Amino acid sequence: MSEFTPTIGIEVHVEVKSKSKLFSNSANTYGMATNTAVNVIDLGYPGTLPTINKEVIRQGIRACKVLNCDITRKMHFDRKNYFYPDNPKNYQITQNRTPIGRNGYVEIEVDGIKKKIEIEEMHIEEDTCKSAHRGSVSLLDFNRAGVPLIEIVTKPCISNSKEAMAYLTKLKELLFYANISDCKMEEGSMRCDSNVSISKDDTFGTKTEIKNISSIHNVGLAIEYEIKRQEEMLNNGEIIREETRRFDDKQGKTILMRVKETGNDYRYFIEPDIPYLELTDEFINDSLSTLPLLPDELREKYSKVGLSSLQIEKLINNRPLNGYFLGLLSYKTNYVTAVNLLLSDISSYLNKHNKVVTDTHLSYEKLVSVIEALETGDLSNKNVKDLIDSLMETDKTLDELKKEFNIENITDDTFIKNIIIKVIDNNPDSVNDYKNGHDRALKYLMGQVMKETKGTVNPKLANDMLISLLNK
Amino acid sequence: MSKYLDLSIKEIHELLVKSKITPLDLVDEALKRIEENKDLNAFITINDKVREEAKDLGEVDPDNIFFGIPIAIKDNIVTKDMRTTCASHILDNFIPIYDATVVNKIKEAKMLIIGKTNMDEFAMGSTSETSYFGSPLNPHDKKRVSGGSSGGSASAVAGSLIPLALGTDTGGSIRQPASYTGIVGMKPTYGRVSRYGLVAFASSLDQIGPMTRNVYENAALLNILVGEDEKDLTSVKKEKEDFTRLIGEDIKGMKIALPKYFISDIVDEEISKRIKEVISYLEKNGAIVDVVDMRYLDTAVNLYQIIAMAEASSNLARFDGIRYGFRASDVDDVDSMYTKTRGEGFGDEVKRRIMIGSYILSGENAKVYYDKALKVRDDITKEFNRIFKDYDLIIGPTTTRVAPMLGITKDDPHKAFMDDVLVIPVNMAGLPGLSVPAGINSKGLPIGLHIIGKAFDEATIYHLASFIEEVL
Repeated sequence: MSEFTPTIGIEVHVEVKSKSKLFSNSANTYGMATNTAVNVIDLGYPGTLPTINKEVIRQGIRACKVLNCDITRKMHFDRKNYFYPDNPKNYQITQNRTPIGRNGYVEIEVDGIKKKIEIEEMHIEEDTCKSAHRGSVSLLDFNRAGVPLIEIVTKPCISNSKEAMAYLTKLKELLFYANISDCKMEEGSMRCDSNVSISKDDTFGTKTEIKNISSIHNVGLAIEYEIKRQEEMLNNGEIIREETRRFDDKQGKTILMRVKETGNDYRYFIEPDIPYLELTDEFINDSLSTLPLLPDELREKYSKVGLSSLQIEKLINNRPLNGYFLGLLSYKTNYVTAVNLLLSDISSYLNKHNKVVTDTHLSYEKLVSVIEALETGDLSNKNVKDLIDSLMETDKTLDELKKEFNIENITDDTFIKNIIIKVIDNNPDSVNDYKNGHDRALKYLMGQVMKETKGTVNPKLANDMLISLLNK
Repeated sequence: MSKYLDLSIKEIHELLVKSKITPLDLVDEALKRIEENKDLNAFITINDKVREEAKDLGEVDPDNIFFGIPIAIKDNIVTKDMRTTCASHILDNFIPIYDATVVNKIKEAKMLIIGKTNMDEFAMGSTSETSYFGSPLNPHDKKRVSGGSSGGSASAVAGSLIPLALGTDTGGSIRQPASYTGIVGMKPTYGRVSRYGLVAFASSLDQIGPMTRNVYENAALLNILVGEDEKDLTSVKKEKEDFTRLIGEDIKGMKIALPKYFISDIVDEEISKRIKEVISYLEKNGAIVDVVDMRYLDTAVNLYQIIAMAEASSNLARFDGIRYGFRASDVDDVDSMYTKTRGEGFGDEVKRRIMIGSYILSGENAKVYYDKALKVRDDITKEFNRIFKDYDLIIGPTTTRVAPMLGITKDDPHKAFMDDVLVIPVNMAGLPGLSVPAGINSKGLPIGLHIIGKAFDEATIYHLASFIEEVL
């Protein structure tokens, strides 16, 4: 219907995971008491100088790899000068001329069509402090001042809200998986600005910038609203100004914040307090050596060992469990059973106790023995439920636990046979149903057998025997 | 009254070791001299705890000649719990919560900080007349300036108030006042002394250095100040060396260059004559002195005005009244707080330089002025390196004239820069330079000889300086 083509670019800031801040050794944390993770450098005290947190540079290198960017080998930092109360030095140390990464891309898939979203550049910079306004006073929390950020800027190559959302979802997944950032939009560790313009021809229209959109879903809504707004304006013969807007999710509208002044002048120049950095092959390779497998690599690997796509996605969404499962792959076992266990009984235990799997006593050897016992029928699913607390909390082997819990599945043929005959005799209707092809009846009869024996018979053995007796 | 402070540091040290005197005697004598010479206006702040510190200094260390020696610190170097003003209204109530790295080193060497010396506001000036606290005076003629920006340190040492002082040198601010007051002042190689805790004026040029009565004490004090500092990324790691090691050796075969520009008609005739006399004396003693052509020396003042002011405009942005220092009253909003605080807090020269620096970095100007200046700066460095292929040292006069009368440069800011025309090239190239007294003119005013060395070759500068000091 529309004759206008939208062009969208996205700028994302993520807070980088690191022990300390970018230019000082105070802690990089979230949620600490106000102004406790602060030192004289973060406050911009006279005479202080920045130092470089190499771990952040390493994270930058990892981000380059994950987002397919060329790494800038020789780089420096620049000062971006502007006055604002949340900016302690009244300049921000950033990378203007030599961003650590250039010319990258993120591959997305929308409605079955793959597209590369091109990344113009990616650079490292420091965060500002946080301001809060209480009536006539403003309060400043410097805990965030100097927290390392990576800013990722796409080319204006995104065509619609769906692509924008797919890009952000993928970007978040990649940076989260590479352990570069928590990417929690609700905590501000991932922030998103979007530039939108529309045009009828090859030239770009005047763009508006929508700042600090609070979720990926809202990015989609904001872009759609903005495109519609601009179309209506142009159709009414109005002229679009370059302006900064925000998205109000309650009203579902973008709202004007300020009209952009021409030639915003940040008076950039090379930061003289930080010498040029030259990234050696050794430093780069060393940084990349700790890069974990990324989601697409995992998907490929897991489908090869027979996991369903549902299992794969569930596993990938749970990073600690996924890490544990990756370790299990060096053991020979039934991985499908393993994932079922991990996603069911083990997950419920972990959720209930608010633990991660690596904090428990579930060794790979123990898990492999449980899987084996389930396969041979030495252990029933009910047994696993009974044993789960002990499996997770003690170093006892499966054999020891079976003894302790008195789990000795009965394998005496005659005993089982007598029980089954009794069950068949007591349930003639179900036997009839089974003979008429109702498989559900078999499950019911099997349930009766387990009930009679209080779950103590070897379920596989009992099941086989039940079928053969029914078919007689 | 006692005259211990007129003895050499070595002699004072012996008296201390033999328990003939105590550090408190030295401190009391220094305090008395400062009080008696208040009209010199050399100090902004006296350390009111220094007598306590002298009493608590403990056992004399017989291997540390600086034990118990009083020292003065220029007031742009931060001292914990001791007011640090940068001679500016905007910091006139500022009490730092940490010590500069050099201050730590001075405290570790058990020297006693007697107080903070007067200077040009934020080290911006050539006469110390831009100080918010009034001009320090030249002890040789109290109607004359003591130079700048380290004028207070120069007055204090030249007036025998104190044997040792620290200065800072961005464009000659140690060497020029040393020359005007007839003392020894060294600007070490950029990176030799940590700048952590030096309130930045022009980060890529600033360097802290010793100002003393004689060459030996200068070199010995430099031994204390140097060293790589993890808090200053521009500080350089070097083997530990003793800067006094060549003092007293003969100068036979020493190769010295005298750039034509340094004896051109920009230099006062009496000074030129005196320098030439010293040179013929050096030649008589076996040194080889060649007059050489050096390009770009005459561009240094222009480069300085571009680079130093650009950096200063950014470095001084942090003084906004929010976190420390002076804040103007009766403000309506953030913008008026900025403009009133900075408008009232800074003096004229500082404001002038901030405005010029901001202009230089604005928009296209950054390319036209700043980037170009950095290129020419590289050329100056290359030119020095070319000369140093064939020569051990470069010499000339430190200043083009002797100390001017108070007030005469105040109304002509550009002319004031011309006082530093001979010393600024050294800052541009990051080289070490020293001014040593080379006699007096017909009015009895001191003339300084300027010795420039290769990067990190301060020892050779002291070698020649000690020879000149010895023979004159």
